Amino acid sequence: MTAAEGPVPAEPARRIQPDALDIGIAAVVVALVVAGALTDRFFSLANARAILAAAASTGITAIGATLVMIAGSAVSLAVAQTASVVAMVFLATQQLGLAAAILLGLLCGVAITALQGAVVGFWAANPIVTTIAAGFAVGGIATWISGGTTVYPRVAAFDGLNSTPLGLPLAVYVLLALTALAQWVLRRTTVGKRLYLLGENPAAARAAGLPVAWVTVAAWAFFGACIALTGVFLAAFNTSATAGLGGTLSLDAIAAVLAGGTAIGGGHGSALRTLGGAVLISVISDLLLLRGFSTGIQLLAKGLLVLFVVIAVHVRSARGRR
Amino acid sequence: MSAAAPDGQPPLVSVEGLTRSFGGVPAVRAVSFAVGAGEIHALCGHNGAGKSTVVKMLSGQLAPDSGRVVIGGRPAELGSRQAAQRLGVALVDQELSVVPALTVLDNLLLGDVTAPLVSRRRAAAARCRRVLSDVGLDRLRPEQPLAELSIGERQLVEIARALSQNARLVILDEPTATLSDAEAGHVFAAIRRVAARGCAVIYVSHRLAEVLELCDTVTVLRDGRRIATTPASELTVDGLIVQMLGEAPRRLTAGREPDPRLTHALRIEHLRVPGRLADFTLTAPAGRICALAGQLGSGASDVLRALAGLHPQATGRAELRGRPVPLRTPAGAARAGVAIATNDRKSEGLFLGQSVAANLLATRLPALATAGVLRARGEQRAARSLAGLAGVPDRRLSDLVSTLSGGNQQKVFVGRCLGRDDVFALLLDEPTRGVDIGGRAAIHQMLRSAADAGLAVLFASTELEELLELGDVIVTMREGRVIARYEGGADGAALMRDMTHGDRAA
Amino acid sequence: MSAGQAPAGQARRRAGLAAAGRLTSRPEILVPAVSLLLVLAAFLCTPLVSGNGLTAFDLFNTLQGLAQLGLLALGLGITMIAGEFDLSVAGTYAAGGMIAVQAGQSSAVLGVLAAVGAGAAIGAAQGGLVAAVRIPSLPVTLATYIALLGLASAMSGGLSVTYANTAATLALDRPVAVIFSLPSLITLAAFAIAALVLGGTRLGREVRAVGGDRRASRVAGVRVERTLVGLFTASGALAALGGALLSYSRASANPDPGLQPLILATVACLVGGVSLAGGRGLPAGLLAGLLAVALLGQIDAMTALPDYYTELLYAALLLVIVAVDAPGLRRGLDRLRAGAANRRGPLAR
Repeated sequence: MTAAEGPVPAEPARRIQPDALDIGIAAVVVALVVAGALTDRFFSLANARAILAAAASTGITAIGATLVMIAGSAVSLAVAQTASVVAMVFLATQQLGLAAAILLGLLCGVAITALQGAVVGFWAANPIVTTIAAGFAVGGIATWISGGTTVYPRVAAFDGLNSTPLGLPLAVYVLLALTALAQWVLRRTTVGKRLYLLGENPAAARAAGLPVAWVTVAAWAFFGACIALTGVFLAAFNTSATAGLGGTLSLDAIAAVLAGGTAIGGGHGSALRTLGGAVLISVISDLLLLRGFSTGIQLLAKGLLVLFVVIAVHVRSARGRR
Repeated sequence: MSAAAPDGQPPLVSVEGLTRSFGGVPAVRAVSFAVGAGEIHALCGHNGAGKSTVVKMLSGQLAPDSGRVVIGGRPAELGSRQAAQRLGVALVDQELSVVPALTVLDNLLLGDVTAPLVSRRRAAAARCRRVLSDVGLDRLRPEQPLAELSIGERQLVEIARALSQNARLVILDEPTATLSDAEAGHVFAAIRRVAARGCAVIYVSHRLAEVLELCDTVTVLRDGRRIATTPASELTVDGLIVQMLGEAPRRLTAGREPDPRLTHALRIEHLRVPGRLADFTLTAPAGRICALAGQLGSGASDVLRALAGLHPQATGRAELRGRPVPLRTPAGAARAGVAIATNDRKSEGLFLGQSVAANLLATRLPALATAGVLRARGEQRAARSLAGLAGVPDRRLSDLVSTLSGGNQQKVFVGRCLGRDDVFALLLDEPTRGVDIGGRAAIHQMLRSAADAGLAVLFASTELEELLELGDVIVTMREGRVIARYEGGADGAALMRDMTHGDRAA
Repeated sequence: MSAGQAPAGQARRRAGLAAAGRLTSRPEILVPAVSLLLVLAAFLCTPLVSGNGLTAFDLFNTLQGLAQLGLLALGLGITMIAGEFDLSVAGTYAAGGMIAVQAGQSSAVLGVLAAVGAGAAIGAAQGGLVAAVRIPSLPVTLATYIALLGLASAMSGGLSVTYANTAATLALDRPVAVIFSLPSLITLAAFAIAALVLGGTRLGREVRAVGGDRRASRVAGVRVERTLVGLFTASGALAALGGALLSYSRASANPDPGLQPLILATVACLVGGVSLAGGRGLPAGLLAGLLAVALLGQIDAMTALPDYYTELLYAALLLVIVAVDAPGLRRGLDRLRAGAANRRGPLAR
């Protein structure tokens, strides 16, 4: 990046630097707008709501996944199982009241995920293998506890979660609030700044005396809370929970983060980018759906989008360094 | 002694007028010398003399601005390391290019274009054993995983590979720096065998006694120029040092008196790192700069790393301002007030993809925050004041550190440790490596100011000028041990002698 | 026994023990060997739980399970040995099955060729991106995986497609030599070829070098880019072949097998001693890991034990593997040892 001559610019962290990647994404957005204009019912309030609603669940998890990716831990393959378990816990404790059930669900998600974060942080273990192991453990324990059957709530205290203030599902508001929170943490707190440093160069962070293990645990704990929130909303929506409730959440979340332009190597990215990525994927799927394309084609398009962004991100960062 | 140099025959390798500059600064100026077949030719010179640049040009890693290399009577196009290999030039570098995951046999065959598509085990193993015995590795089995071998043995395997691929010129860059005496002996024997087979050998080393024992001829470089090429039989270590340093070496100015008000000190007792550092004891007073003078493998760097918690196997005691410094975790050392600038700023120091401001503030975030939340204007102010301390212009604060010059990067790295009231000891490993003259002066000033502000400053270096100029106390080290301690009355020659060849202190 | 023979016999025995010691100290041999032995022991104990004896049919089923996952695991494994993680093989597996079924309704061979060709092309593209453009393999192959699942789904309209060529299906499911079948023989043959190539050819040496230390390999003259592209191509072809055989054998192509095949293939590789970091792994070890996974699946089926036993066992196995490879753990142990030495006394050696 070239330095500007003259007086000191505004605070570096907040300066917006357009570059090839952002221009590329802007071009894609423009193309989408054009395509949307040519499509029936695309530019309607109902459709906009549908797009946001579709992005909500995955988006919430993806925000958490962003922090972990920025910290350099790449991906977790235990997400779907964790969400399922939280959903089960949430539904099974409905009789304690909504707040208590949510709290228990959150604790459950945070504990499971923070434990993985501890293994990755303190032992410097490989995150992929760790989360595959955790996925088995969590899935196995879930099946064991539920006896392999569906979990039904005895009381339905969660009805409020399915409400749609202003026509948007509550989950969308939670997604937006969470994005703002995550963005604030990343930009304005010590732990957030340290996440970037750790992801950028773990050896240097260690040598500089930063508490790398605890920073990793913090990122994973936040991730766990996000997964738990998704689990809670899934439970409220489906009103019952099985071990497979999480579905394809693991990869969907990663795809949303990557589509927003966060690099898998860590050290860069933001919650806003992930929100953009989740919405972008949702927009493309919606557009294709409106034009009559099958879910297969939507999936294909999602994969190609992520591929395009990943390549663009890499090429940009490779050129940015000497 | 080594094999006799051939006479009357044209040299196998002839270096003619090699010149190379970096960004306008000349590193090598019209260097010429010749090496005959079977000759072991040493290349000596102090830091910055241009040895590594010459080696890079000979092995195809750098293109010369002018001049040429003639091998076997024909000018050689050394465009890449592979091209050089094909022309018969083999380089055995500090950074080994043998793969630990493979077996010895596999490593010997790696990259060999004449190897058959389908390996013929028995024939290959037999050839392998022959080649191994050529370098004195008879006791190894071809199917042995390389990971089981020591560094010295791996180096020998790399030399064996060069041999088996019919190298005509073998260049060895500091081969014995991290080896034990026994391993070094094996390397010498292997080199003599290589030379006896008619290869030309170029041997780059700081260990002057070894050089004189092993080599036939010594070419000395200074400031990028060839000073002299002399048969080893006509040289002594002291004479060699004079050639390398030029005119009368600088004398150490009398040590500065420590400010009597500052009583805090960094006390180190019986610091040990298995295999690298044997029993190191030193008291580094606050307000003074202690220098550790030692080449690669001397243990100087390991002292600093152990103090900073980067050696999980370190034992011993360290105390800073009366409080113990935990020796095996970097976070613990940082909490005790130790800050380190390691010798590899790119992979273990700076965050290259982040801005200069982010790098400068990386270690002082808690000071800028209340309850974990950064205060509004604090960052900007702190970044600007640090940039001033580090000597980096304000306008570069938002640039990526990777776009800075080496000198500026080092300034950011060192500057990051300054101006903090929770740092009481500053450790620096090669503080001005890869830094130009101007940057060097600036960094020296930073260190002097830090000492004056009451920190204990401890640095390791191989630059004689830097050691003599900055060090109030100079401790010379070699092979993991302290050789001598100087507080005035030292000169470059004495330091040099200790570092390269000195007798072990009791 | 004369005086001279005894020491000679002792020397031979000592050499044999030393060789055995060396073999077992290598994780790529130790891990799969121990895992397979444990699982085999459990397998042999299943009559105690199920009440029925072991029959040849159980072995046949085990080998069928091996064939189901084998080529996929082999493709994943060879790229892991080279230091890359190719998630797209699971997508090629699904897409390959779909292509084979749709293109091979009349001629099974044609379907297989189409699938393998497509798999090779996809693999080559992955290899090109990873090697030439130097993008890390994880995000690229993840995106391709998603795209390929989409492709498979698009080709079939989201539903399973039936394979009408019953002759081919029957041929594939027929037992050969009691316990084998055509797919399991093909899988075993593929492993044999992989073992020969990796262990005994120049190409195999270069693959292992690229995984062990990429920089050193390049310096030593290995054509890293070409090797990687070839490797990804091979792994794509293998995965597609595996998917094709599975679809024919089941007489239907499933466009969305989920993450399960990928996870099981990864587990087979890890239990087989292949390291995610690259440079370590033997096809024989991988086969042992695969066999262990297949046996566990068969134990599940035979004993009707709840699924979570196997899942928890996998979790435990993987945790051990994680711990063995974790540098932070090793640092911690070094620290403890040095701390103990320190406490014994500063001058104690």
